[in-house]
Amino acid sequence: MEMSGEQTILRPQAVTWSSITDPRVLKACIPGCESMDKVGDNEYELVMGAKVGPVSAKFKGKITLADVDAPHAYTLIFEGQGGVAGFAKGQANVRLLPDGETTRLQYTAKAMIGGKLAQVGSRLVDGVARKMAESFFSAFNEHVSGVKGEG
Amino acid sequence: MYAFEYHRPSSIKEAASLARKLADAKLIAGGQSMVPALKLRLARPTAMIDLNDLPELRGISVVGTNVVIGALTRHAEVAASKDVLMTLPVLAKVAAGIGDHQVRNMGTLGGAIANNDPAADYPAALLGLGATVTTNKRDIPADKFFTGMYETALKPGEIIASVSFPMAKRAAYIKFRNPASRFALVGVFVSETAGNVRVAVTGAAPCVFRVKNMEKALASKFAPEAIARIRVPADNLNSDLHAGAEYRSHLITVLAQRAVEAALSGK
Repeated sequence: MEMSGEQTILRPQAVTWSSITDPRVLKACIPGCESMDKVGDNEYELVMGAKVGPVSAKFKGKITLADVDAPHAYTLIFEGQGGVAGFAKGQANVRLLPDGETTRLQYTAKAMIGGKLAQVGSRLVDGVARKMAESFFSAFNEHVSGVKGEG
Repeated sequence: MYAFEYHRPSSIKEAASLARKLADAKLIAGGQSMVPALKLRLARPTAMIDLNDLPELRGISVVGTNVVIGALTRHAEVAASKDVLMTLPVLAKVAAGIGDHQVRNMGTLGGAIANNDPAADYPAALLGLGATVTTNKRDIPADKFFTGMYETALKPGEIIASVSFPMAKRAAYIKFRNPASRFALVGVFVSETAGNVRVAVTGAAPCVFRVKNMEKALASKFAPEAIARIRVPADNLNSDLHAGAEYRSHLITVLAQRAVEAALSGK
């Protein structure tokens, strides 16, 4: 399933763009992110921990920024291996629409899991993905706007 | 199994201090969610704190107009309890419908609500009756206890002691269960307690929730037709391999009416 959301960022489009492509900002806002290192153009290696109920898994994976159309849109693609737990993949299409001195950030996201995670967690994947997307974008809004995100 | 520290405290105080000290530790009661996660290596805590040597967390008592159930009480004990069957039979029915025999013989009330699985039955009963959760630190009303998907108001080192359920004038729980797991695809709990009507839904969204507009309609007329046209929008409902959000939305209205009917007939 695809889920979507919107945040109003209290900064102009250019500032919002430079933040949402800044690995330090991404690292600070990705839930459970432990490290994030640049390995190529728009390519990062990351380690993140995810905790859902009794399950906790550590993912080692890659984040790629694709279809980059500065300062309007990009697609953030995540692929991670959780060892014996299985794997997770996800992507978020992000659009920034200027609105005076503020920016409307719109996103659609989807996620997939495989391996043992899918065996026990397939009924939960959309709920988890929705929560992670909401938590990432509201953390981003808080980080950039300096106020608690809404939406 | 892989190596982890195993603690078996003999007082709640000791359990709470261990839980505070060992940040990565997991509490275990009946183990019906925790042990499968351990076996699949989907959880690898460095320490487990087993609560099964805490008899003060166990037992069922009737206190005034409330039924108080210890956190470590098994589902099968609640289902068979004469006190529960006499004073709040709907709760025995909820417990009798959880999982399979093994889950009911091992699983506990405290474990089920601390885990807060989005499709678990007990959260609907707590929210649908307006129960109160008592921990080693404080009382938490059900309305504030279930905060999100697998999330509760419990703080690190906080341990559930018991749950106090108010007796209901009438109440019923109807679930549309997944035939394999017996989890609720959707479950609806309806109750009328001292002039207060509650409708709680589990299985349909990331977390149990109340349907306030159904409660209002039922408060003025406690009958199935009063809510026949009330739909919970599909927007924030679960879609998974078992059922889509639209279907779940439809099921809520159907099951809520059946629950009202069952509450009226006292079955």
